[in-house]
Amino acid sequence: MRADRIAILLAALGAALFFFWGGLIGAADTSIPIYFPNSKLVVKAEIFNRVTYLPIKQIIEFMGIPYTDALALETLTIRSGNSRLLMTKNSALVSYNDQILLLPSPILREDGRWLAPLEFLTIGLTRVTGTEFRYRPGAARIYADNVDAPELEMNAQTLGPITRLTLRCSVPLNVELKRDDQRAILAIDRTALDPVRERLDHRDRMVRSIAFDDSDGNAKIVLEITRDVTDMRLTGADNNRVYILDLLTKREPVTEAVPPPPLPSAPAAKPDVIAPPRKVRVVVIDPGHGGMDTGAKSSAIAEKDFTLALARKLRGAIQTRLGTTVLLTRDSDAGLDNEARSAVANNNQANLFISLHAGYSANKLDAGSSVFVMKENFGEGFTTASATGRDQLFLPWYLGYRIHHQASVSAANFLQEALSKAIPGSKFTTRTAPLAVLSSATMPSLLLEIGNLNNPVNAQTLSDAGFQSRLADTIVNAVQRFSESPQAAAN
Amino acid sequence: MPRHIKIGLIVFGIGGAIAMGFFVDIVGRVRSMVNERETEENPFKPPAQPLYSPTDPPVAIKVFFPAASGDSLLVAEDETIFKSVELANRAKQILQKIQEGPKANTMVGPLPKDARVQDLFISEQGTAFIDFSDALATAHPGGVLNELSTIYSIVDSLTYNLPEIKQVKILIGGVEKETLAGHCLLLLPLAMDLSITNVMPHDEKTALLR
Repeated sequence: MRADRIAILLAALGAALFFFWGGLIGAADTSIPIYFPNSKLVVKAEIFNRVTYLPIKQIIEFMGIPYTDALALETLTIRSGNSRLLMTKNSALVSYNDQILLLPSPILREDGRWLAPLEFLTIGLTRVTGTEFRYRPGAARIYADNVDAPELEMNAQTLGPITRLTLRCSVPLNVELKRDDQRAILAIDRTALDPVRERLDHRDRMVRSIAFDDSDGNAKIVLEITRDVTDMRLTGADNNRVYILDLLTKREPVTEAVPPPPLPSAPAAKPDVIAPPRKVRVVVIDPGHGGMDTGAKSSAIAEKDFTLALARKLRGAIQTRLGTTVLLTRDSDAGLDNEARSAVANNNQANLFISLHAGYSANKLDAGSSVFVMKENFGEGFTTASATGRDQLFLPWYLGYRIHHQASVSAANFLQEALSKAIPGSKFTTRTAPLAVLSSATMPSLLLEIGNLNNPVNAQTLSDAGFQSRLADTIVNAVQRFSESPQAAAN
Repeated sequence: MPRHIKIGLIVFGIGGAIAMGFFVDIVGRVRSMVNERETEENPFKPPAQPLYSPTDPPVAIKVFFPAASGDSLLVAEDETIFKSVELANRAKQILQKIQEGPKANTMVGPLPKDARVQDLFISEQGTAFIDFSDALATAHPGGVLNELSTIYSIVDSLTYNLPEIKQVKILIGGVEKETLAGHCLLLLPLAMDLSITNVMPHDEKTALLR
């Protein structure tokens, strides 16, 4: 009995050692691309004791630097001009022109391969070749010399039945969407990119993981998707500096009747053209209601359909006329809660947030419309935050609107004036209200409620595509005026 | 037929009719008792207490209703309630007036037809918690302005006439809701806003009278 127990204990100890010790000292392979100004090299790095080792001979051969591999002496000598760098097997000391340099880990030689820790590039190789190397700690890629590697931001969010991945880069990109059974791949046609985050901690019923991968030297974003994904839609914006990938599920019908308007593409081919500074760079448009929530209804049109059609027209008009990035909180007949709508604006650092609605008055003859901003003193008695300095970072969510309240009022006034001029028969009033969709928006934000769906003539006008285009043009005029105003600069 | 038999039949008939009347009455009472038995769907409700006593003096109030047209969102209508001792009863009388709707045709009713006040509680801090039936949200026709009118018709009517009530928190179906019908936030209690009405605040009115 006693012998059995000892045997079991020894077996458990052995298993533990196998897993932990083996993991600690065992080697793991990983591919690391090194981006040079006009070329790239993918090397197979090995990880020993959590130290990343690079095959140094492969790198110097690629760079065309002469070397001597002395098998008997177990040394590797690299020469460049009058400089000489000498490495010895199992030693962390490297001789550079008879000057001793200390590496954090020793040089290894295995199966004829010389392996140097990652830091050798900056400590040793840069001195002898003059080539500078850059990498983030623990990064999976290295940039040599003055390689331009623009930052790539990724952001994912669940918006009701949609999962949205937003990519943002400072230079135009060409992105192609490919799909196989359980993966969606966004292939990016650019040699060197610097992702702000390697992978996103986002997981929902449509996405298992989202990760940037350039281990083969080709930049791409790999999404592990579930079978719930029935459709995917990739949209480029801001001259292809922003891409939005929407993953859709069949549970919510997607309206295909009104296709998204074409995006302006001409300036994308000329990334060197310096665009004039724009105060409003990102506009988020929120088509009110959606899905089961139809909003107000008339025999001519439902509020959710009107707002979506107007939002799509507005997106096209703003992009064409102002060249501004425009995002919609929903681009299909999907239901979203108010928090998710303002989150789209907050997460995309929007400079202006416009929520679109249609009105409904018990009085059939009433045809008044309103431009709303958040009620100024809403929630005042329920917080101790002074909304100044550091406290701005810690405002309760429903006080997010406060930071840009004055700018919101200005934007609303511009819109009210523009609409009053463009649609003379209707009355437009600027009002304040405790509106859920505006309360947590941390940028100038407003809500437009137009018309009266209880009035059959008014409802017919709202459903007219020509009127919607005119309305969209008028809103663009107001956005432009706001963008040029000093209030917009405060954002 | 002999006369005594005729009299006997008439008496028998009258007696039968009276007995039938008693029988129908008893059956009706038994049925009503069965129907009114307390169940989950039909919980016991204490008989409604009167909201005021005959000795309570009348008091003039203003009830705010959505304007059918014009610049003001809400228009005040003069009404009378009785000054009951309990503050909650005065608030309930005002809510009754809101439910009944306006008399003038220049205003419209702010609440959906089936919306009912289920409960009302006023805290020591002066917050009135009003629990409306689900119909307030489900039967609401929609529209931001419409929703705003409904909410502030309640908030302004209570806070304007009862200074003890500083703010109003609306519950729907016994629970807290984010919005009434998708637009206006109900998560926090709301204070009086007379800027959307045709009435001046009390203090400004007093200052003008001086």
